[in-house]
Amino acid sequence: MGVIDFLMKGAPGDRVLLMGNEAIARGAVEGGVQVAAAYPGTPSSEILDTLAEVADHFGIYVEWSANEKVAFEVALAASYCGLRAMASMKHVGVNVAHDPFMTSAHIGAKGGLVLVSCDDPYAWSSQNEQDNRFIARQAYVPVFEPCDPQEAKDMTAKCFELSEEFHHPIMLRPTTRVCHARADVVLGEVPKEKRKGVYEGRPDLLMYDARGARINRVRMLQRFEKIREAVNELPYNRLELLDDAKFGVIGCGLSYNYVKEAIRWLKLDGKLSLLKIGTTYPVPEKLIAELLHSVNEVLVVEELEPFVELYVNAIAKDVNPSVKVHGKDLIPLIGELSTRKVTEGLAKATGSKLFLDYSSLDKFCEESKPLLPMRPPVLCPGCPHRASLYAIKVTAKKVAATDYTKGVKPIFSGDIGCYGLGYLPPIEAIDSAICMGGSIGLANGYAHVVQAPIISIIGDSTFLHAGIPALINAVYNNARIMVAVLDNDTTAMTGFQPHPGSGLTATGLKTTRVIIEDVARGCGVKFVEVVDPNNIKEARKVVEKALKHEGPSVVVFRRKCGLLELRDKRKKGEKIIPFYIDSEKCEGCGICINPFGCPAIIKRDKSFFIDSILCSGCGVCSQVCPYQAIVRQQE
Amino acid sequence: MIEEFNIILAGVGGQGTILASSILGTAAIMTGLNVRGSEALGMSQRGGAVVGHLRIGSVVHGPLVPEGKGDVLVGFEPSEALRNIAYLSRDGLIIVNTRPIIPPIVSIGLSVYPSIDEILGKLKQYAQVVTLDATELAEKAGGVITVNTVMIGALAGSGRLPIKNETILKAIERCVPKETIAINQKAFKLGYNEILRAF
Repeated sequence: MGVIDFLMKGAPGDRVLLMGNEAIARGAVEGGVQVAAAYPGTPSSEILDTLAEVADHFGIYVEWSANEKVAFEVALAASYCGLRAMASMKHVGVNVAHDPFMTSAHIGAKGGLVLVSCDDPYAWSSQNEQDNRFIARQAYVPVFEPCDPQEAKDMTAKCFELSEEFHHPIMLRPTTRVCHARADVVLGEVPKEKRKGVYEGRPDLLMYDARGARINRVRMLQRFEKIREAVNELPYNRLELLDDAKFGVIGCGLSYNYVKEAIRWLKLDGKLSLLKIGTTYPVPEKLIAELLHSVNEVLVVEELEPFVELYVNAIAKDVNPSVKVHGKDLIPLIGELSTRKVTEGLAKATGSKLFLDYSSLDKFCEESKPLLPMRPPVLCPGCPHRASLYAIKVTAKKVAATDYTKGVKPIFSGDIGCYGLGYLPPIEAIDSAICMGGSIGLANGYAHVVQAPIISIIGDSTFLHAGIPALINAVYNNARIMVAVLDNDTTAMTGFQPHPGSGLTATGLKTTRVIIEDVARGCGVKFVEVVDPNNIKEARKVVEKALKHEGPSVVVFRRKCGLLELRDKRKKGEKIIPFYIDSEKCEGCGICINPFGCPAIIKRDKSFFIDSILCSGCGVCSQVCPYQAIVRQQE
Repeated sequence: MIEEFNIILAGVGGQGTILASSILGTAAIMTGLNVRGSEALGMSQRGGAVVGHLRIGSVVHGPLVPEGKGDVLVGFEPSEALRNIAYLSRDGLIIVNTRPIIPPIVSIGLSVYPSIDEILGKLKQYAQVVTLDATELAEKAGGVITVNTVMIGALAGSGRLPIKNETILKAIERCVPKETIAINQKAFKLGYNEILRAF
């Protein structure tokens, strides 16, 4: 039985190995979710991937939405119609959903409503480190932070119940090391009851008899007061108070595990009081006050910002002003935490002896560094983005050198997706990636302040997510930019989710395909062409024409993701015939590795060869080679 | 019951470290042990460096092997073993596939890949090392995709893993695609026998 079978057929009490995101999906099912919507983004994607797999079995409506704002609104509407609903996204996705999110607590929830915000400390797969507890606080939405997959599952289910009880949306905030952690999880009951969605009228009249923003705000604050009280009683907040302990530690969310380990290894068991916090907003004030009453010193351990620490400081002023509150003075503000970081902080605060000589460990690692090759992620062999980026970069440089821009170098305004890896050498055809759709927004701005070839490089899914308004802006304000839409028919970076342009829904149903070139024409773009990037000559010709067009232009580079193409070929039993480098013809110019940069092409000593296991047989390198030295192997 | 056994699986995106940690985690649950682990997903999959953490036993909390606390470092690739050395205890064991994967950035001259002997020499300064050419064994078993089960076999053969062989073979059956069960089980045995020779 695979994980999905366990999730569908697993009985209460079964112990299963689950990833945190799978546990959240199961928790949603156990919590009676009936509508789930999301836009993919690491580390959140597997939540909806998993729900999509079990949607039919459990009778849940599951969709990949065009973006996070829509996903949250879909969930919001379901809640207004009395169903339990969830939207899941990565931390920066909440920025996109921020608008409806801000007003959601004002209006309240009817069916249980949960927003899962998967935060990414250390920015493993993100453009920033962002602590969404502040966004939730601004919106008066409570935050639940699970410490591991088991709690993630249990909390998710409970959040639906609490949201419904308090008529208030709730944010579940797991971080990368909960989402992508694996642990044994004990399954719970799946409810049989299914509700029917009913629209009873104006949403803000559902719960109360008055309406309007000012009244809603009052109601919101009243509801929030009740939640402030209730969190003290929840099992996710636990105080282990020792009468004679003068030092206390507070572990928030995931950090609680590191605290537990640090205590064990510093042999502080039974010597300090411990508060586990699972609801970081509102914090369990009574429990914090109780702890602060009994100790002289306290250490708050949390990832990213000093959020709980601020509350602890504030509460200390009221209940025990002499208590010394530690937090970010001893625990790093940057990156994710680890047992080591917490151990070092706790050792310093308590004057304990470290169990391990970290300085000799660090010295050894420092000495090993010269032996470590860099190994950044790269575009896969056979990736059509490499061909697109090559054609764009080479042509733009040529146009910049010879044409209207008087030698000003081109601007490659990039976006969020696999092609962002083209930022790295040797490809270096992406200058920036600020946010979804930002490539076109920035290009609009550049167009009015510099004279250079300005190219927005954006993926299909990203274009449909947030690129369209910026394209309309370029038409409206006549920005001379070329928008390159790299259409590989999937949301590849996050695990191949379908999107509005791929003609399939989350649950695999066929649907109307949103055609990118039609969208561009509909927006009023006069120059729109579609090209196969693997035909380098043709692609370069089209790019040159587009760059010479006086006004906004759109070029759609259409070719299926190389990994999906390989998968399809394997399924059909088609042979992959790799290429090789004819050493007689190779002049050693090196274009195939720099700037083309296919990882299947390797230079050893002075000769070049192709690793036939890695080669996907796409043959684009053979078009790039000026000496026709790259040829397909005989079958 | 064992309190804590920490495994680090270090390799390159595409080598199947995630599946390896799934197999081991499943086998640990079948043995009645608790499991905590974490892996790199997303960006790092594309040929980048990846590391998986797997912790089994009765007292495991965090998803990451704490620095200096690893019992075994399973290096799917030599330089990746060295990159993650900090997680291993000095009493720990390093099992390493000697077959290098040279990153493309080395080809364009922006980084250097040292000799295998230099890497192994450094690893040996830190802890006990056993080596095998897992890539060759995987090819023998039926394809390079089985490097991960060769490495699991080697880990089992080291005698340190608190899980029985039959349980791992059952976990392989449960975790890999049906059509590859036989070659993966063969790969497990090849890795197992090779490490007995290497010790």
